[in-house]
Formats: sequence, C-alpha cells, structure tokens
Amino acid sequence: MSTPRFQLRSSIGKKLLNGLTGVLLLLFIVAHLAGNLTIFVGKDALNAYAATTHSLGPLLIVIELGLAAVFLVHAGSAISVWRDNQAARDTRYMVSKSKGAASKQTVASRTMIITGLVLLAFLILHLWQFRFGPTTPAYQTTLPGHAGEVWNLHLIVVETFKNPIWTALYVVVMILLGFHLRHGFWSAFQSIGALNPKLRPIAFSAGVVFAIVIAVGFLLLPIFVYLAPDPNAGVLGLVKP
Amino acid sequence: MSAQNGTGLRSYKLKVWRQPRGAAGGKLVDYEVSGIDPGMSFLEMVDQLNESLLKRGEEPVAIESDCREGICGTCGVVIDGMAHGPIPNITTCSLRMRSFPNGATITVEPFRAKAFPIIKDLIVDRSAMDRIQRRGGYVSVNAGSAPEANATPIARDVQESAMDSAACIQCGACVAACPNAAAHLFVGARVRQFALLPQGHPERNERVLAMVEQMDAEGFGDCSNHGECEAACPKSISIENIATMRREYMRAAVGKR
Amino acid sequence: MNAPAIGQLEVVDGSLDAKAPGGDIRTRWDRHRFEMKLVNPANKRKYTVIVVGTGLAGGSAAASLAELGYNVLNFCIHDSPRRAHSVAAQGGINAAKNYPNDGDSVWRLFYDTIKGGDFRARESNVYRLAQLSVNIIDQCVAQGVPFAREYGGLLANRSFGGAQVSRTFYARGQTGQQLLLGCYGSLMRQVEQGRVKLFPRREMLDLVLVDGHARGIICRNLVDGKIERYAADAVVVATGGYSTVYYLSTNAVQSNATAIWRCHKRGALYANPSFMQIHPTCIPQMGEGQSKLTLMSESLRNDGRIWVPKQKGDKRAPKDIPDSERDYFLERRYPAFGNLVPRDVASRAAKQMCDQGYGVGATGRAVYLDFAEAIGRLGESVVRDRYGNLFDMYHEITDENPYQVPMQIYPAPHYTMGGLWVDYNLMSTIPGLHVIGEANFSDHGANRLGASALMQGLADGYFVLPYTIGNYLAGVAPGKVKDDHPAFADAEANVNAGVRKLLSLKGKTTARELHWKLGRLMFDHVGMARNAKGLTETIEKIRALRAEFWENVQVEGSADDLNQALEYAGRVADYFELAELIAIDALARDESCGCHLREEHQTEEGEAVRDDANYAYVAAWEHTGDFGKPRLHREKLDFENVHLATRNYK
Repeated sequence: MSTPRFQLRSSIGKKLLNGLTGVLLLLFIVAHLAGNLTIFVGKDALNAYAATTHSLGPLLIVIELGLAAVFLVHAGSAISVWRDNQAARDTRYMVSKSKGAASKQTVASRTMIITGLVLLAFLILHLWQFRFGPTTPAYQTTLPGHAGEVWNLHLIVVETFKNPIWTALYVVVMILLGFHLRHGFWSAFQSIGALNPKLRPIAFSAGVVFAIVIAVGFLLLPIFVYLAPDPNAGVLGLVKP
Repeated sequence: MSAQNGTGLRSYKLKVWRQPRGAAGGKLVDYEVSGIDPGMSFLEMVDQLNESLLKRGEEPVAIESDCREGICGTCGVVIDGMAHGPIPNITTCSLRMRSFPNGATITVEPFRAKAFPIIKDLIVDRSAMDRIQRRGGYVSVNAGSAPEANATPIARDVQESAMDSAACIQCGACVAACPNAAAHLFVGARVRQFALLPQGHPERNERVLAMVEQMDAEGFGDCSNHGECEAACPKSISIENIATMRREYMRAAVGKR
Repeated sequence: MNAPAIGQLEVVDGSLDAKAPGGDIRTRWDRHRFEMKLVNPANKRKYTVIVVGTGLAGGSAAASLAELGYNVLNFCIHDSPRRAHSVAAQGGINAAKNYPNDGDSVWRLFYDTIKGGDFRARESNVYRLAQLSVNIIDQCVAQGVPFAREYGGLLANRSFGGAQVSRTFYARGQTGQQLLLGCYGSLMRQVEQGRVKLFPRREMLDLVLVDGHARGIICRNLVDGKIERYAADAVVVATGGYSTVYYLSTNAVQSNATAIWRCHKRGALYANPSFMQIHPTCIPQMGEGQSKLTLMSESLRNDGRIWVPKQKGDKRAPKDIPDSERDYFLERRYPAFGNLVPRDVASRAAKQMCDQGYGVGATGRAVYLDFAEAIGRLGESVVRDRYGNLFDMYHEITDENPYQVPMQIYPAPHYTMGGLWVDYNLMSTIPGLHVIGEANFSDHGANRLGASALMQGLADGYFVLPYTIGNYLAGVAPGKVKDDHPAFADAEANVNAGVRKLLSLKGKTTARELHWKLGRLMFDHVGMARNAKGLTETIEKIRALRAEFWENVQVEGSADDLNQALEYAGRVADYFELAELIAIDALARDESCGCHLREEHQTEEGEAVRDDANYAYVAAWEHTGDFGKPRLHREKLDFENVHLATRNYK
C-alpha cells in the first residue's frame, strides 16, 4: 500500500474546505449586512457605501474574484459531500427517527443541500439585480462631499423592493439563509476542528442567535423599503407623514 | 425483580425486515409475539419469536448477538427508526421490553449503509471497520519489546480522556444512525485514543492519513455534523472525536511531529 | 446402562508426561526456554500455523507468531476478531508488579494462585504464569491500553477477589475489552502486513490428523455454509470455555464447546471437566425466556456487604429490615476475609443460604449486595466513581436503583478451569495440537482467582506458546501436508454427515428447549454442590435428553446458507456428550476441592474437605467411543514449593 497523503478530496479534506470557506462566508455575510444596514441611515449612506466599495478599483476585482472562488469552493465541496452521502446509503430506512439527546440533527442540518442550492441560485439572481444592475445615466446620482456622479444603488434597491414579489422572494430566501446558518455556523467551526467540548455547546447555541440576527437583519431591508413611505430618508422616513 | 415491578405479560406486533441471503432486496414481514415479560431483553423477545417460527416449520429471523451485556458490539439493529432502539446509550441486547408499551408495533430493520452490505435478514457485514483498523488502529509494538510499564507516566486526565475514546465497541451504530452513513465517529475515536497517548505518537500522522483513506475507500459517507452518531452511540462517544480527527488530519498535512 | 461407578472405569497412571522441568522453580522457565529447540529465523516463514479463536489467547498468539515470522491462519467465529468473549471481562488483570509496595511478589502471586486453586494446579505452570504477569502489563501499556492511573501519572492498582495485596490493573469496568483491543490491534497489524490471514465467520467442526499429528481443521463458513479445509504444520485451539453447557451462564451466545470437544473426540484428553467456576456476583434469573446471566464485576464486593434476612422467608422490603435482623453471612463465617472470600466460597455460601430458605427476591434465589454503608462512609459520588457503570447496568436490567435499594445477586456458571489437557509446552496429547487460554485446563486448578483469566490468556498467547510451538515445529518438516490428503476428505465427510443428520431430523422440539433442560439439570446437580446419587441420576437423564435430541429436534433451513438454527443445534449436540463427561468427572472425583463440592466431603460448617492422598491429580479423560466409558489418565500433582494445606479464609 502506498504511503497515504493528505488529500483535499478526502471526506475530511472536503469538509475542511467547506468549513473554511463557510467561516469566510460568515465573515462576508456580516460585512454585507453591515453595508446593507446603511440604508436605514438614508439614501446617501447606502450610495456612499457603494461608492467607497467601487473606489477600491482593481483591489475590488481581486476581492470579488476571491469571494467568487470561496463561494464556488463552498458550493462545490458541499455538492460533492452530498453526492458521497447519497451513495453511502443506497437503501433508505423504512422508518427513521432521530434519537434526540446528544443529536445535533435539525431540519436545518438535513436541508443544507436544499437551502444551499437555493442560496446559490439566489446569488446569481442577486448579483444580476444589484452587482450587475443598470448603470445608465438614469441610475447616476450625486453624493454630498463627493465630486462627480456616483452609481445610484439606492434607486435600484427601492425599485426592486417596491415590487411585492421581489420583497416576498427575498424574505423567503433570507429565512432559508437563516436555516442554512443555524447549522452552518457551528458546523463550519466543527469541520475545521476548531471546537472543543467547552466551545461546542456555545457554538451550537450561538448558531441559533447568529442565524436569527443575520436573517432578520437581511430581511428587514426589503420589508423596510416596501413599507417605508420615504425610503430615501432612511429610518427617519418612517416617522414622516 | 421484574416480577415485583411487572405489569403482566405483554404482546407486540412486529414488522421485521426479511431478506434472503444474496437477494438484492427484502421486505418487512408482520409477526406477533405474546407472553413477553417486560424484564425480557429485546433479543430474548426475538429468541422467543424464532422458537415459535422453528416450531411452525418456518425459518427463524437471522439476527446477530454475542455477549448480551453491551460490550462486544455484535448486536445492533434499527428499532422504530433508531439504531439500538429508543433508549439512549445502550446496545440492542441491553434494551428491555419494558421500554415498549403493551400492544405496540415495533419495526426492526438492519443497519443500512452501502459499506455494510446485508448478508441475511438483520445481519450485515461490518468488515469494512476491520479493514480500517488494519490501516493503523494500533501501536506497532512486538510482543517482548515493551519497556517497563511505569517508565512513561501519563497524566490521569489524559488517560481518562483516551479511555473515553477507547470505549468504542465498533458496533457500527454511528454509521447506521448517521443520515450520511458516515463512519467518522468510529474512526475518530480510534485516532483520538492514540493521538492522546504518548505510545501513539510515533505513528500519529501515518495513522490518521491511512485510516481516513481506508474509510473513504470503503464507501462510507462524509460527516455533516448532524451529531446523530453520538446520540446513537451505546458508549456515549462524543463528536469531539471527529473534531480531533480533523485536527490530526490537518496536522499530518503539515507533517508536524 | 447404568452410570459407571469409578471402579468400573479404566484408570491409567503414568501415561501423561507434563514435560514440566524440575529443579528450582524460579529458573524452570528460563532453563526450559534454553533447552527447547529453535526454528531458524529464515525458516519460520515456511511454517504455517492455524490458530482457532481471536480472544486474548488466540489473538495474542496469532499476532505474536506472525511477528516471529510464521504464516498464520486465524479463524474467528464472529464477524470481527474484536468480539471474542474476552471482551466482556470487567474487573481487571493481575500482575506481580508490586507497584503499591504492599508486599506482592511473583512468589506471592504463585502461592495465592496455587492455594486459590485448592492445590489442583501444576506448580511449574503457575509459577511461570506469575513470572510472565509483569511482562503482560508492560506489553499492554506499550500497545496503548488505557489502564487506570494515579494522579502522578503512574499505573493504579486495586485489590480484587480474595487477594490481600493490590495487584489488579484495570481500565474502568472494561478491562477485557481494552486488553482485547490492544491484542486485536496487534493482530490487525499482522493481517495488514500479510503474515496473518484472517478467516472470520468460520466455525471449526473437526480436527484433521495425519499420522497422528494435528495437521489441519475443517470449518463451516457460517455465511454460505461451505465446508472448508485448511492444512498447516500445527494447530492452536483457543476457543474459550464451555460454561454454556449450563444454558444460563455469563458466557456469550456464540461461546461453545464444539472445537475442543471435537479435538477430544479425535484423541485429545479432556482434563478436569467438572472444574467449573460459579461466579458469585451475577444478576439473578428473572424469567423463563432469559438467555444469559449478566455478571457484575466482583470488585463490587470490595465495598458492598452481602446479607440475607435472619428470618426465613422474610418478605419485608430490605430497608424495613433493621441491621439486627440481617445476617451478613460472609462476614460472620469468614471474619478475616469477609465479603472478599474466593469466588467458590462466596458462591456456595449464597446458595446454601438460599437453599435453607433465606433467599430474597421473587424467586428466593438471590441475596442482597448492599452499598448503603459504603455510600454513608464514602458518599454517593465516590461510589459512583468506582462502580457507576455497574450500577447503571444493574439499573438498566432490573429497573431497580442500586443507590437506593440493595442489589440482588446470585451465582452463575462463569469460567471453566477444566479443558483440554496440555503439557508445560501447552501441547495436548495430540502432537501438534496446542491449546491455550480458557480452552486448556492448565493454570487455575479447582478454582480461578479473580482477574487471573486475562492474565493466563495473554501469558499463553504472547509469551509461552510462541516459544514452545517452535520446539514442536523444529522437529517437523514444513508444508508436508496439503489439504488434498485423504484425512481431510474423511474429516470433511464426517462433518458433512453431521450437518445432514441434523437437518434430516424434522422433529417437534427445538435445540433451545433441550439445552434449557440440560442446563437446569447441570446447574442443580453438577453445579455448586454435587453428590453421588444426584450425579448418577443426572448421567442417566443427560443420556435421555441426548436420545430425545437425536430423535425429536427440529432444525429449519438449508446447509448452504447462513443458518443459525443449524449452528446452534450442532453445538447443543456436543453439549450433551460433554455434559456426561462433566458429570462422570464430578462423580469420579470423590473429594471436595475448590469449586467442586461433594456434599459427602464437607465439614460441619459446609467447607470443602480435600482428599490429597487419593485425589491430588489431574483427571484427564480419553474418549473411547463410548461416552459412558471414558478412560481416566491420572497426572499426579507434586507440591514441592507450596505445602498442601487446607484453605482457610476465616
């Protein structure tokens, strides 16, 4: 037998990749949410956030390509794991039940591939709508303290979420994201071997909090835009007549 | 004892997986048993069923067991959808009929995994686990070449923790219970025992790499951290063992000694 | 046909050469190793050795032989070698390390073992066992066996079953499983290296003799029913004990006597078959459908107090019986050792109390093992640390919480000191056939001390057989016999005929029902107390059961399939034959010793009375073809180093 080597294609390797990219995505998602929350300050805050991001220039491309790679590796490793797992139990149980107690099995853990695939499809839609959204002159605006015109991301957001169908879709997907994070949060750390008996229950419980905070944080935006009489003014727009 | 606490003899409806040897599939077959003492073990209840089948000229249900005190790891079936039945941290042989209400319908299936092909009825072939052990579930020491036992003190908490992993009885319930039919808990427990103990250190890297390689080659699934294995484990082996195995695997990648 | 009186049996003296070296007992093993022939290291790979069994004895032997360079074919009745019933040993393993500095020594372990066995074991063997005990611990620790340790990181010891020194090493309540895992690891390493070829799910059904030497075995493949032949230069049988003759015992479902019994029928003498240890701390039988008795480690006796009510038939709950109305009968009868008397003494005392009507529980066949005093003295958490897993197991099985209610215990057949006769080289009377572990008779005499079974199995496998088998093989040209030899065809035909006969019976009763009847008979009359009348009648009844079996048993299914009913029926058929020999041996040994209490030979207090003048021998039985007329070979036992004395645990 040849000397065994470390293999990223092994079951452990794939989960290391999946967990590591998962942790990176957790960081990304927190950053993304922070950016989104600027809308509650107002139109200019969101557009300033967009402008600052764009001002990174080539660095942005590097970051975006890196992020794309992280997403692809995360999805690819997950799909590969899922395929392995489908093959590993070729005959299903007639009756199957969780034994509870120590089990960490949840609806969330059993549907990771579904929520993950939905999120992947959503990601493409989401990029098409916002990252590669319209840049015609109609979507340019000015920004206080900023020379020249900037991209009016805020307008795209408002146009999108004044449409109840988009709002509903985004809300549903964000709830699914919450499910994905409920298992994904602690599982990512477990997959890279970062948990010990003390940290594990903390991470497992923190997963619920994290999932709720992120999902609610994200779904507030479309709901806010949909409901707010004047989204341009941020949360202040809610108190205006 | 059971007679003191007893609530009379009980009857059950059984749905038992029957699959002839060499057949591609099988089916659940209905049986009824009666006169079951609540203190009886689940396997003794099956013994009684088999006695009645024999007397009727039918072939008994093939089911494996040996020590019948929860340590050899031979027995193991899925009862009502749970490996080793509904009670946590015991083996099938330690399960008592008092855990099932009188008149209940009980479904009995074999451990299902591609790496555990069914031999007959409820008996599966778990030799994949032996083949994983062959690749490194030991310390390479020949008889006669051992140093004095007390030459290397081992901190008590380290030894106790290693013992937690060593408690694995290789029954395969972790694989059976895992939604992915993964064997990570079993392999993790073996890896962790020797990762903790100084005796295991010289072969530490090769061990985890080889055992994981074999585990994957056997067609077990990948671990998705459902933790169902720990819930089904009759010896309460923690998924900490899986985390340790992953750390050991990374450690081996950088070739650290 | 009447059961034979001892006078009707043919007796042969001087036929058995134990090959035990003479001289100073402390250097016998060294000298013997020097005097034995060696196999040239380059030639070892030309020899093939069959090892049947993968428990502590078989597994360690197979691994060690492979390490030395022999080709090993290793057979296992289970799906994996790590399931062998050694796995179930709980309490520990003895070794004369004297780590606690409490006066232990090789000599003391030797002395305790000889005395504990009531002077019916061979001194040379026992001394060697005591010597090797220290090497076993070194070996197991090096394998990564997680023995309990003190806070300083050094190995912990406890006192165990009748020993007045702390020499028992342990790994929680699962010492057997941990030792077996170590041994299994060594074995799997050799499998990986290709030196051991492993054959799981095989049952040995016959031994093949060529020119009087053991040269192979016939197995049934338990998956597809194929009868298979395997040839080798020597055969090692390590298939464990035969307590399952008693139906209810602490042994496992697949533990059986078939391999050694069929060796016996091929000419290997069977020694001291009636020396059967009844373990005192088992959970009592609860119902008729029960398939086995569960042993709890006798370490429980370190802190538990055994008692019965002073009033016969007292049905009060134990907590309602005041201390003054309790009879702590072991403490009363044996003030020095109290609850820690040897197993046979404790078992017999419990049975006597129950027989006299003092028993408790639903059946009256139980005594209390009470931890109330220990919990009061040490606190519940300390008791939990020491015995938590045992308490949990008891609770799980009985549905009673032993932290609140005293445990109920009753003795159960556990370990067979008897087995195939072997000489100092562990070779049977068939040249080339070696027998190790519980399957042989050698080291425990009439009673085995707690924590000594694991020690013997591993000593045989790691440190004795690997040398002594070389002495045999050095005189044999390797690979001479192939499995196409006519002897293999004969043996295979013999096995096939047996299988076919069982399947053809189509009777109305099951093997289990008859086995159950046999067990009842054996436990009542060939168990903890025996007498000539009971034994004589029992022999007749065993014969009647055997006849009923061969007329009326029902075995379903096919010979060419996985067929557990067929496997079981074959084993039960052998139990009837062996049971008769056990009863004959018990009848022929007209004295009491160790586990063997003949009611005709006891003191007024019920203690065993030995007859050293007439019975200081090993009774080795030869199969003559007539189960009622085995031939008795007597191996005289000489005690040069330990003076024959009456055991006294008062």
